[in-house]
Order: sequence, then structure tokens, then C-alpha cells
Amino acid sequence: MNWKKHVLEGLTLVVAGVLCAVIANAVAARERKLTLVGTYPNALKAPVQAPTQAPAPEPRPALGGAPVSSPAPAPVTQKRAGQDTGAPPKPAAPRPTVTPKTPPAADPLARFTPHPDKPSVEIGYAEVKALHDGGALVLDARRTSIYEQGHIAGARPFSVWESDVDEKVTRLFDERGDPREQAKPIVIYCSGGDCEDSHMLAQKLWGIQFNNVYVYKDGFPDWQARGGAVRSGTNP
Amino acid sequence: MTLVRDDAVDETSTIANWLTSEWLTIRVQIALGIFFVIAALPKIVDPPSFAHMIYNYRIVPGPLVNIMALTMPWVELLCGLALILGIWKEAARTLIAAMLIVFIIAIGVNLARGNAIDCGCFDPNPKPKTREQRIDDMTFVIYRDLGMLLMVAQLWWAERARRRLDDAA
Repeated sequence: MNWKKHVLEGLTLVVAGVLCAVIANAVAARERKLTLVGTYPNALKAPVQAPTQAPAPEPRPALGGAPVSSPAPAPVTQKRAGQDTGAPPKPAAPRPTVTPKTPPAADPLARFTPHPDKPSVEIGYAEVKALHDGGALVLDARRTSIYEQGHIAGARPFSVWESDVDEKVTRLFDERGDPREQAKPIVIYCSGGDCEDSHMLAQKLWGIQFNNVYVYKDGFPDWQARGGAVRSGTNP
Repeated sequence: MTLVRDDAVDETSTIANWLTSEWLTIRVQIALGIFFVIAALPKIVDPPSFAHMIYNYRIVPGPLVNIMALTMPWVELLCGLALILGIWKEAARTLIAAMLIVFIIAIGVNLARGNAIDCGCFDPNPKPKTREQRIDDMTFVIYRDLGMLLMVAQLWWAERARRRLDDAA
């Protein structure tokens, strides 16, 4: 067997594959394009798996999880940077602050205070609904093609897997240049379950100074199931 | 006894001849090529989804995820086409064997650590599945890839047999 010829042919196949890939990526549509070098800080981190048994219904209150008597949307699940979403939710850490008896002030978003020490806080439907109704910015981290099939009304497409995500994040930063604007709450969602695109996007936003980001843990399927406002198409 | 042994030898020889026959080899080669072309196309069409699949394996360093998602399907496609067309068969066969071994190891590692993932082998946009379904699929994928490795082994064996005959002639 002529090994030299064999190796040369193999290398040619690989080089031809690389060339085809680079050219195809260069001419691909925006939502099908990839940056050549990706930034995935947790790419080698083995995720923590949920128990093998089928998940039983949560005995705890909803993920929006604040105690029933308290109107405060205390963060339910605290997330380390890039933590796997498959991990069982941790119970809410009760806030030491005294819950006011009086209804909240005019701004319904005032209770969602910044949390600069962590990229995001996981919340449930009730909090997301309150934020959505209060006019908070909602970002859809799923693929654009999925977004177009149906998304939370008013949500913007921000797929972390598409090449223009960094550009979108920068544009958002330009939109909200003022630190007070950056402290306004932002909700991110994807498909719930073990989908961690929201956390990846939250990490990106945190890296660019946004410090009040909430991840809708159960994502779009939950929103849809609970009758939240949904829109389809390319526009928010 | 001697007769029985001779019969057994003849039978083994017949099976070996059939396994290395031109008739079988050409079919195995084309089938393997078609498998790889079919596997490559959806991934070429949607690299971001395939990048997501690769990321889920958690064994590829972050900076290499996108490069791998872009190039691997094209290498699969070219190797598959090479086998179908009968061009550079040996090189294509070797690359396919290498990729299959990598796939088996990648799935095996994740099975071992209990990380239930979609393999993304033929469809980078799989339907939602339960953890148990994913684990079952991963086990099936290992057997399937081992089967394809056997196909590569047949090609290699037939090639060797053909060379021996050529050398003897």
C-alpha cells in the first residue's frame, strides 16, 4: 500500500472540507452563520444530571417562588455562572427585608432590584408576567427560526447560537448606555427544561454590565401553557 | 474426521470469499457513503444547531466548537461522496473509521457520566425527548456506529484480499 499517497488523499479531503466549510459559512444567511471561534466558557464542564426517575410534580410553591404571603419576587433559584439548568431548583432564599403591607409604588418593576454579584436569577411565570406587563425588556434566546414560529409578545430574538448575537448585545448596550438603564430588569427565556441558552445569553449580558437579568426557568412552553400573550413572525 | 474438517475449511473459505467479494464490497461501500452523505446534509444546512449539539457533549473546548460544527459535516460529505464515486476510497475509509471511533468515544463518555444528550448525528434539530429516551438513543447510536465500523472493516478486509490476489497473479 502506498501510504504517502493514502495520507495525501486524506489530507486533501480534510482541507477540501475545511475550505468548503469556510466558504459556505461566508455566504450563509445571518441566522445560519457561525463565528469561527466560539466563546463557550462551560464547554468542558460536565453538567449535573437530574435524578434518573421521572420528575415528580414539585411539592414546593411555583418557581416564582416567593412565599405566598409575600408580594416580593424573591429570586428563587440562585445560579452560578454557567451552571447547568438540569440541576434541581434550589429553594428560594428568603429575603431578610420586611415585606411591605402596602401595595407597591407606581413602578411595578421597582421590586426587581439589580444583582451585580451574579449573571442572572431564575424566576417563574408569575414574576415573568409581572415584568412583561410592566414593560420590561424580554429576550428570546432560542433560534430565530423557532422564534418566528411563536414567541412571547414583545420579545426580541437574541439567539446565542447565531453569529450576530454579540452584535445584538453591543447594540443593546448602546441603547441602554446609561447605568440606570442598564439596571432595568431584562427577562430571558428559551425552551425551558434543560435548555441553557438563556443562561448563556445572561452571561454575555452580565459581561457587558447588565446586572438585572432574569431567566424564565420554564421558558416558552410554560408561558404558552399558562396562556401568556404569544406572537409569531419576525417582529416582536 | 479429516473429511469433516475439510468441509468446515471449505465452508469457512466460502464465507470468507463471499465477505470479500466484489459484489458485497461495492454495496457496503455505497451504503456507507450514502449514510455519511445523509448525515452530513442537515448539519451543513444548519451549523448553529450542530454547534449546539457539539457543545452539549461537553468534551470539545469552547473555541473549537464552532470550527468543528462547520468543518466536520463537510468532511463527512466529501468522504461519503468519495466512497459512492469510488474515488480515494482508502483515504475516505480511514477518515470515516476515525470519525466513527471519535463518535463512539464521545457518546460513550457521556453515557458513562450520565449526561443524556441528543447525538445530533443525522438531525441537529431533534424533537424534545425525556432523559430515558435519550439514554436509549445513545446506546442505540453506539451499536449503530459499531455496525458502521464493521462495514469499514469489511472494506479494508476485501481490499487486502484483492491485493493478495493481485500480488499472487
